[in-house]
Amino acid sequence: MWQKSKPYLLLLPATGTIVLLFFGGLFDGLLKSMGYFPAIGEVGFSFDAYTDLWNSSSFWSSLGLTFRVAFLSSIISGLLGGVLAISLFMLHNSGKNKGAGLWHRVFQLPLTIPHLVGAYVIVLLFMQSGLFSKLFASMGLIDTISDFPVLVNDPFGWGIILTYAWKEAPFVSLMVYPVLMRIHGSWRDASRVFGANNRQFIREIALPVMMPSWTIAVFIVFVFTFSAFEVPFLLGVTYPNMLSVHSYQLYTSGTLADRPEALAINLVLSGLTVILGLIVYYFSKRWNVLKGWQ
Amino acid sequence: MKELRLDQIEKTYSKTAANKTESFGLRSIDLTIREGEFFSLLGPSGCGKTTLLKLAAGLLEPDSGKVWYGNSDLTATPPEARRFSMVFQQPLLFPHMTVADNTAFGLKMQKVGKKERLEKAEAMLDGVGLKGFYHRFPDELSGGQQQRVALARALVANPRVLLMDEPFSALDPGLREEMRELLGRIQKELGVTILFVTHDRDEAFELSDRIGIMRDGRLLQVGAGTELYEKPVSTEIAAFLGIKNIILGNIGEGRFVSADGAITMDVKNGEPEGERFLILRPEALQVADGNIQVPGDAIRIKGHVLKVKFLQGFYTAIVQAGNHELECQLFRGQSEQLEAGQQVEVFFSQCDVRFVME
Repeated sequence: MWQKSKPYLLLLPATGTIVLLFFGGLFDGLLKSMGYFPAIGEVGFSFDAYTDLWNSSSFWSSLGLTFRVAFLSSIISGLLGGVLAISLFMLHNSGKNKGAGLWHRVFQLPLTIPHLVGAYVIVLLFMQSGLFSKLFASMGLIDTISDFPVLVNDPFGWGIILTYAWKEAPFVSLMVYPVLMRIHGSWRDASRVFGANNRQFIREIALPVMMPSWTIAVFIVFVFTFSAFEVPFLLGVTYPNMLSVHSYQLYTSGTLADRPEALAINLVLSGLTVILGLIVYYFSKRWNVLKGWQ
Repeated sequence: MKELRLDQIEKTYSKTAANKTESFGLRSIDLTIREGEFFSLLGPSGCGKTTLLKLAAGLLEPDSGKVWYGNSDLTATPPEARRFSMVFQQPLLFPHMTVADNTAFGLKMQKVGKKERLEKAEAMLDGVGLKGFYHRFPDELSGGQQQRVALARALVANPRVLLMDEPFSALDPGLREEMRELLGRIQKELGVTILFVTHDRDEAFELSDRIGIMRDGRLLQVGAGTELYEKPVSTEIAAFLGIKNIILGNIGEGRFVSADGAITMDVKNGEPEGERFLILRPEALQVADGNIQVPGDAIRIKGHVLKVKFLQGFYTAIVQAGNHELECQLFRGQSEQLEAGQQVEVFFSQCDVRFVME
């Protein structure tokens, strides 16, 4: 009995802390979002905060922006990451293993850089007084630096999208590349003798093989960017702002009365994240067709 | 005639620091495979037969020499444009495709419409005994079934030449036998030209119209199975084909005398003089007993039995004659009469003798 329960008891301090902080915080947030807030004398339950959100145009603008930024970030980083992984795979297959290894390390570099630093890099490169605008102006491509498009702190969210695309593309390639490397080396030979050129090999063999892990990687990026805070906070505009920033601003607005709404946003975000997680799970189960690897 | 011709093909792999193996090269290979022929490259592991096959497929580029198909020079043609097919040692089926899609892969690359290619693939799968397996995935098949799919995939593409790289070596003996029969039957039905690589003598002899024997990057001899076995051009080939009776001696004044003087015989007119190896097939050498009438012109050798062996239906006696251990095949009745140490006389006919220089 002792032997059986010993590992669980040893894990208890860690799991207890996680449960208390994570689920405790979530539960506290749920209570407060439903109006139970003894600090301001509210002890009843209501869905007022959710109703307010439903009727708030700024919430819907923020939700729209959040979806747009998360969708474009994940798609762009997914495409970039996929192209990176396939390029590395083809480089490796062409017999240039050393070159593939080196490029793999170079492409992984953005993974080591914190998101906040990544955001600053985008600011320095893409703002109107940034490196690229000056470079374009000196090359004569634009007349003045103010002609450079507004890509940072713009209402569309391009700055945020660029940052996440740059940061997460290596993550996608990191998820996909090992799957591609499991492709039997002789499959290329087999496909070639049956008439497949490089393009057809990628389309018929490499893409179907990488698609399940690529989709999951892109979903992970989507879920992450959907609720991420620091980059939208740094590179976003005042209105509309992403849901995480909107929630933070409501929470720190100075009046405790706004807090239930702020927490309701967080719970909506959490709920949507869980739904997205279930979608990922559904597809990962459905696309688990890579049986028979040798 | 659309024949596959390898003309003065050479390929060298250098010894490198990373690859600590010895340098290896194919040396000036000339080979012609006729249309509709089943040709086998036979040789031990590492002799260069797979390299030669890959050169024919275009998966490797030769250092020098040409690959011809009919009057077309294919040397610079990439493998995807040669319209050859290949069956590898492993089935190499694509796991995300069904059996039918795997089989139809070559046709898809040839831009054959979906309906037509799937019909052809299913017909070919029926031909290799996989009726009804169309919608399964490769991991739902046994090793033998997977190799059948690989064979169907190669055949359905209607290749100009089918290249096969030891396709049955990973299968168990029963299955291998079954696959050989299937391949032999299909090759006769379709008349496809096959270049087959194997290190299995039985496989090569059972299936091939002609065989090329390779060793150390050289093509030693090409011919029909019986020709190679009965008339090997060197001791190397004889030894590879399992002939152990190879006796060094000298020919002079119309007689062959073995180095130890134990075996002497008259030789045919015209046999060149000098140091020679006498090659005697085990079935050409017989033990003389009361039941066998020894021909008058037979060559007789005295010796004693070292041991009697039984191997897959054949009895063999090892007879010590001088310094030589001669292997001779026995009839069933003979094996029961012989025992180790027994003095015997073995004989062979002049026409079964083969002399080679090296």
